[in-house]
Amino acid sequence: MDLEKVLLEGENLLQPWAVSTSRPEENRSDVVVARENLHAAVQAIKDAGWGYLTAITGLDCPAPAAAEGEPAAEGNLELLYHFCSGLAVVTLRVSLPYSDPTLPSVCDILPYATLYERELMELFGVRIQNTPDTSRLVLPDDWPDGIYPLRKNFTGFAAPAAEEKE
Amino acid sequence: MPTQEQNQKFIVPIGPQHPALKEPGHFEFTVDGEIVTGASVRLGYVHRGIEKGTEDRTWTQNVYLLERICGICSHVHVTAYVVAVEQLAKVQVPPRAEAIRTIVAELERIHSHMLWLGVAAHEGGFDSLFMYSWRDRETVMDILETISGNRVHYSANILGGVKFDIDDQKRDFILKGLDFLEERTNHYMKVVTTDETFLGRTRDVGIMTKEQAIELGAVGPTARASGVTIDIRDSAPYSAYKTFPINVITDETGDLLARFVVRIKELLESYRLIREILDHMPEGELAVRVPRRIPAGETIHRVEAPRGELFYYVKSNGGDKPERIKVRTPSLCNWSSVINFAVGHKLADMPMILAGIDPCFSCNDRLIKIRRDNQSQVWTWEDLRLHGIEYYR
Repeated sequence: MDLEKVLLEGENLLQPWAVSTSRPEENRSDVVVARENLHAAVQAIKDAGWGYLTAITGLDCPAPAAAEGEPAAEGNLELLYHFCSGLAVVTLRVSLPYSDPTLPSVCDILPYATLYERELMELFGVRIQNTPDTSRLVLPDDWPDGIYPLRKNFTGFAAPAAEEKE
Repeated sequence: MPTQEQNQKFIVPIGPQHPALKEPGHFEFTVDGEIVTGASVRLGYVHRGIEKGTEDRTWTQNVYLLERICGICSHVHVTAYVVAVEQLAKVQVPPRAEAIRTIVAELERIHSHMLWLGVAAHEGGFDSLFMYSWRDRETVMDILETISGNRVHYSANILGGVKFDIDDQKRDFILKGLDFLEERTNHYMKVVTTDETFLGRTRDVGIMTKEQAIELGAVGPTARASGVTIDIRDSAPYSAYKTFPINVITDETGDLLARFVVRIKELLESYRLIREILDHMPEGELAVRVPRRIPAGETIHRVEAPRGELFYYVKSNGGDKPERIKVRTPSLCNWSSVINFAVGHKLADMPMILAGIDPCFSCNDRLIKIRRDNQSQVWTWEDLRLHGIEYYR
């Protein structure tokens, strides 16, 4: 199938919600959407039967160090919903501030997203509303609350201190 | 308490350690009598923090780390990673290197499918098939050892190419092994599709329709056994699959038997593909140079692992270490399918149904916190390094 045509079709589907659209690579299209539009955008892809959700990547983007005298900017989490159809990959990018990392679940549209959402909640501390299962998937039962290992500020436990706490 | 009462139903916990499954995973099956009415999964018992670990290592060190995500499909993980890095670095890999990558990937698929055939036969109580298929699997292990020097982590890939060549002598060795394997595979096909006792365990068991497979996000042979025609080697070809296309194997019935048939046919397809590549080996270099620092950017590469689509997202900030690597393995997708289509089956069929997706726990689990009661048991990186130097002195 014509790669360009497939990509365009995906972009057109998302047009109503797209804040911006770019082509970082020949077979990829990045569409930035606001979080309140994510659910509707995913619904549109599903309704059109365009490809399938391959993965959700979480990214931690801490704010760059503030210049002297300036207040530190707030970092954010970025979630990438990768949809694939043949060679084409359309990525929905949603940005969430540290202070309010909440997002609606897409499990009502794509039931298999539950494992990806559980991963995001555990490893990045994203709060996903209305997701069917919030139990731990991969971290140990005694992992402390509020510590999200894939955030950049997590650099491991100080070994002896962590041992004593338990 | 091993079981607990809840709404007149029992929850039967299976795992994390259980004789029926050789890797750790915890399942809770809600049963009404013998019939399963609900299922849930808890993973993470072999989670090792590899995604986080990649951010602390250089691009080259990560080749070795990512190869160790899985002991079965180690080569395909590194292939996904190195191709992604090569895309970021805008490096063109020589055709001979791509052919060798593909041959090793297919040999790996053969060893993985034969391993699965044995495990699945064992779960079905057919231990002679288990032992025969694992004996024959040694043929492909010998091939891998002969061409790479290793049975498991072949380390075929380096950034920019491959490490070893396949000369005429090795080629003849591979071809000879394939002839034997093909004969055996045809025999297995006959056994799996005609043995009445075994058919009793597989026919019409664990049926997943095409619609369900799509709805539940199943991938790989599990999905293809339900008629989904997605195979990344075909729909988004990479490496030598661009010049040597594969035939996608599917089946319409979607039961356990179909999953056996699809995987066995894929074995035959792999033999055909390896022979074809060996007949038309491109000449040339084995590798090109890749810079130590990778230009900033992000990329995605998808490959067809033995268990299905494997997804790598790689982001570079222009330094000598990656900013972020995300791995989405095929087993993770298939879990959500298995906990859904398990419902309605007998508890005794669960080991077979679980084995039917060819689950790979190490693939899902990439993070762990190591806790040791004895403080002196915790080794620092420096301790390990010194131990290594001492050991090989």
